[in-house]
Amino acid sequence: MIEFEHVSFAYEKDKYVLEDMSFRIGTGESVGLIGANGAGKSTIMKLLLGLLQGEGRILIDGVEVKRETLHEIRRKLGFVLQNSDNQMFMPTVYEDMIFAPLNYMMSREEADKRVDEVLARLHLEDLKHRYNHKISGGEKRMAAIATILAMDPEVILMDEPTSALDPYNRRIVINTIRELGQTKLITSHDLDMILETCDRVILISNGKIVADGPAEEILSDRELLEANRMELPLSKNCK
Amino acid sequence: MNKMQKALAELSEMDELAARQSPIHALHPAAKLIATIAYILVTLSFDKYDLNGIVPMVLWPILLFQISGVEVRTCFYKLRIVLPLVMAVGLFNPFFDKEIMLRVGGLAISGGVISMITLMLKGVFCLMASFLLMATTRIDNLCAALRKMRVPSMLVTLLLLTYRYVGVMTEELAIMTDAYHLRAPGQKGIQISAWGSFLGQLLLRSMDRAQELYSSMMLRGYHQHFHYADIKPFKARDGLYVAVCIIVFLLLRYVDVAQLLGGLFVR
Amino acid sequence: MHMADALLAPAVAATMYVASTTAAGVSIHHLKKDDEPQKLPVMAVTSALVFAGQMINYTIPGTGSSGHMCGGMMLSALLGPYAGFLSMIVILAIQCLFFADGGLMALGANVWNMAFYGCFVGYFLIWRPIMGSKWFGEGKSAQRARIIAASVIGCIVTLQLGAFSVVLETSLSGITELPFGAFVALMQPIHLAIGLVEGLITSAVLVFIYESRPELLQGVDLEEGGSAKRSLKSVVAIIAVVALVVGGGLSLLASSNPDGLEWALFGNADGGYSTNMGLDEENFGVESSVADTAGSIQEKTSFLPDYAFPGSESAAGTTVSGIVGSAMVAGVAILICLAGGFFRRKKKTT
Repeated sequence: MIEFEHVSFAYEKDKYVLEDMSFRIGTGESVGLIGANGAGKSTIMKLLLGLLQGEGRILIDGVEVKRETLHEIRRKLGFVLQNSDNQMFMPTVYEDMIFAPLNYMMSREEADKRVDEVLARLHLEDLKHRYNHKISGGEKRMAAIATILAMDPEVILMDEPTSALDPYNRRIVINTIRELGQTKLITSHDLDMILETCDRVILISNGKIVADGPAEEILSDRELLEANRMELPLSKNCK
Repeated sequence: MNKMQKALAELSEMDELAARQSPIHALHPAAKLIATIAYILVTLSFDKYDLNGIVPMVLWPILLFQISGVEVRTCFYKLRIVLPLVMAVGLFNPFFDKEIMLRVGGLAISGGVISMITLMLKGVFCLMASFLLMATTRIDNLCAALRKMRVPSMLVTLLLLTYRYVGVMTEELAIMTDAYHLRAPGQKGIQISAWGSFLGQLLLRSMDRAQELYSSMMLRGYHQHFHYADIKPFKARDGLYVAVCIIVFLLLRYVDVAQLLGGLFVR
Repeated sequence: MHMADALLAPAVAATMYVASTTAAGVSIHHLKKDDEPQKLPVMAVTSALVFAGQMINYTIPGTGSSGHMCGGMMLSALLGPYAGFLSMIVILAIQCLFFADGGLMALGANVWNMAFYGCFVGYFLIWRPIMGSKWFGEGKSAQRARIIAASVIGCIVTLQLGAFSVVLETSLSGITELPFGAFVALMQPIHLAIGLVEGLITSAVLVFIYESRPELLQGVDLEEGGSAKRSLKSVVAIIAVVALVVGGGLSLLASSNPDGLEWALFGNADGGYSTNMGLDEENFGVESSVADTAGSIQEKTSFLPDYAFPGSESAAGTTVSGIVGSAMVAGVAILICLAGGFFRRKKKTT
C-alpha cells in the first residue's frame, strides 16, 4: 500500500532530515510512527502527501508520488492535522465536511448523504450545523476526523490525534480510531494511544529507522525507548 | 476581560442570535438583504429637517424585533459606536443653524436642533436595520446568497475564510495581551520596545498557519474552486416580503404618516 | 474614521459604492491573472490578524495615551495592493456587519476612505517608489530606514486623503451645517497625528518582519548585503521624539483656537472612533457623557429667548399636528412591543 524506497530529504543542502529510509506498510495495517521531536516524523508525512519532494521513490498503491500523480494520490489519502483550527477552514462543520467530496466531483446529493452517514457513524449528528469556532476542542478534533472520513480515503494519516484532549475526549478519539478499517499511519508522543490503536510501530531517530516491529514488542522495550528520548507507556510501566 | 475577549463575546452573541428560529430567520437571506438596503436608502433620503417624516420609519425595525424575538437591548449596546460619531457631526448644527423652525408653547426650536435630531434618528434606524439583518441571518447563508447575487467568489470566499479566522486570531491576541500584561503590571498598552514584535511574532506564526491551511485545502482536492453550502431557493414568500417592504417604505417616504395621524386629532 | 450610514446621502453612498466596487473589480482581475492559489488563505489569515490587531493598545511614549492601527498600509506592504485592498474590504465588512462599526450603505465610502488610499495610493505612490529608491544609501540599515520612511509617510498621506474624503462626502451629503473650510481645518490636523502614530506602529511591525522574514515584504530588494545594524528601538525613538514635537505643536495650536469647545468635542469624538474600532467601552463611556452634557447644554441654549426670532415659524411646514402624529407613532410602536411580548408569553405557557 505505502512504500518508501531509499527516501532522503534535506531542507537545507546536505543537512539530511531523512536518510535513505525504506519501509512498507500493507493494506489495512495500523502503524504508529514514533520518535523524539525533530526526528523526522512530520517530514515523512509531508513527503507521503506530496507536500515536499525528496530523493528516492514513494509509492502508494503502486503509484509513485510525483507532481503528475498528486491529484490521484491525494484522493486516496486523508490527513488529520494536529491543529484542527487549521484543518477546519469553513465556518460550519457541514461546509467543511462537504468541501472534499464536492471537490472530487461528487454530486451534492451524494455528498450530503456521505456527510450524514459519517456523522451518524461517529455520533456527531448535532455538530452538523454548528460553527467551527464555537465547538469545543474535543468536538473540533472529532469533527476534523469526520471531515477526513467524508472523503472516504483509503489511507488515513494522523498527526498527534490525541494532543491537548481531556481523558474523556481522548478515549472517544481512540475508540473511533480503533473502529476505522482503513490503513492508518499515526504519529504521536502518546505511546499509550499508539499501543491501543496500532499493531506495528516504526521508531525513528535522526532521520533513520531505529526499530520496526510489533507495537507490543517495541513499546515494552524500556532501554530502546529511553535511548531514543521516550518512556515506557504508562500501561506497561504499571505491570 | 480585555478588548479582544469582549469582541469575541460580541461575535458569539451575534452567532447565537442568528441561529435562532423565527419567521424572519426563515426568510431567504437575499430577501432580507434587499429589504434592509431599501430601508436604509429610504431612511437616508429624508430631508434633514423632515423629522416628522422620519419618525414613522421606526415602525419597521420595531415590528421586526418583535417578530424575530431579538432583544432591542443587544442592538442598543452597539449604538455606543455609531452615536458618538454621528453626534460629533450633528452637534454643530444647532450652532450654525439658528433659524427658528418651530414653536412649542413658549419654546422656539431652531432648524439646527431639528436637523441634529433627524440625523441621530437616521443613525439609530440604520443601525437597527443592519443589526436585524445580521441577527437573523447566518453568515454562511448570507455568503451563499451573495454568491447567488453574483458577488465575485473570490471576495465571498475571502469573507468566509476571514470570518472563520477572526475568532482564532482574536483569541490568540487576547491570550498574548493577557500574557503581556501579567508581566507588565500597571502598563496600559504595549510599550514601544514591543511595538513591532508583538504583532510581528503573531504575523510570522500566521504565515505558517496560512501555509498549513493551504495544504489542508489542497489535500482535500481544492483547485481554484470553492463550493458553498446550498441554501433554500428564493420562494414566492421571500419575493412577497421584499415587495411589501419596498411598498411600505415608499408609502412612509411619500405619505406624511405622522402629519396624517396627527391631523385626525388636531385641527 | 468609520463613517456611519446616517452621515451619507443615498446618492453619495451609491457613488462611493460604484468607485469602491470598480477598484475591487480591478483587484480581483489582477489577482486572477497572477493565479496564486495559496494567496487566498494567506489573505484570510492576515486580514483576520489585522482585524484583531486593530484592538491592540499601543502606549505612546511620554503621553499616557494610546494609539492604534488601521492596517491599510501594512496589508499592502505584506500582500501587495490588490490582495491588500480585498483584505481591507473584508475587514471593514465584518466590522460593519457584526460590530456596527461603519454601516451597510457607508461601506462603499469606508472602503474608499480607508482601503483605497491605504492600499493603492499608499503602495504605488509611496511604498514602491521609496522601497525601490536609493534613499538613505545602501545596506540593511538603509533598507530599514526606507521601510520606516515609507510607512510613516504612507500612513500620514493616506490618512490625510481619507480624512479629506470624509469631509467631502459628509458635506456633499448636506448633513452638517459646519462650513466646509472649518470641517477640513478640524479633521486634517487630528489625522496628521493619528497618521503619524499609525505610521510608527506600521513601521515597527514591518521592520520586525524585515529582520526575520524579509521575503514576506512586497517590493523589498533581498539582494542587499552589509549589516551596520542600527537598533530599531533608537530609530523608532527618534521618530517618536519628532512625533512628540509635532503633536505638542498641534495641541498648542488647538488650545489657541478661540472655538475651543468645537475642538475639544470633535477631537474627543474623533480620538474615540479612531482609537478603537469601537471595542473599548471605557473610552466610549467617557466620550459619550461629554457629548451628552454638551448636547444638553446646547439644547438649553437654543431654547433661550435671544434665539427666538418671531415670525420665522415653520420653515419646513412642521406643525403641532406633526408632533401629535409622532407621539402616536410612538404609541403604535409601544403597542407592537406589547403585542409581541404578549404572544411570546402565550407561546411559552402553552
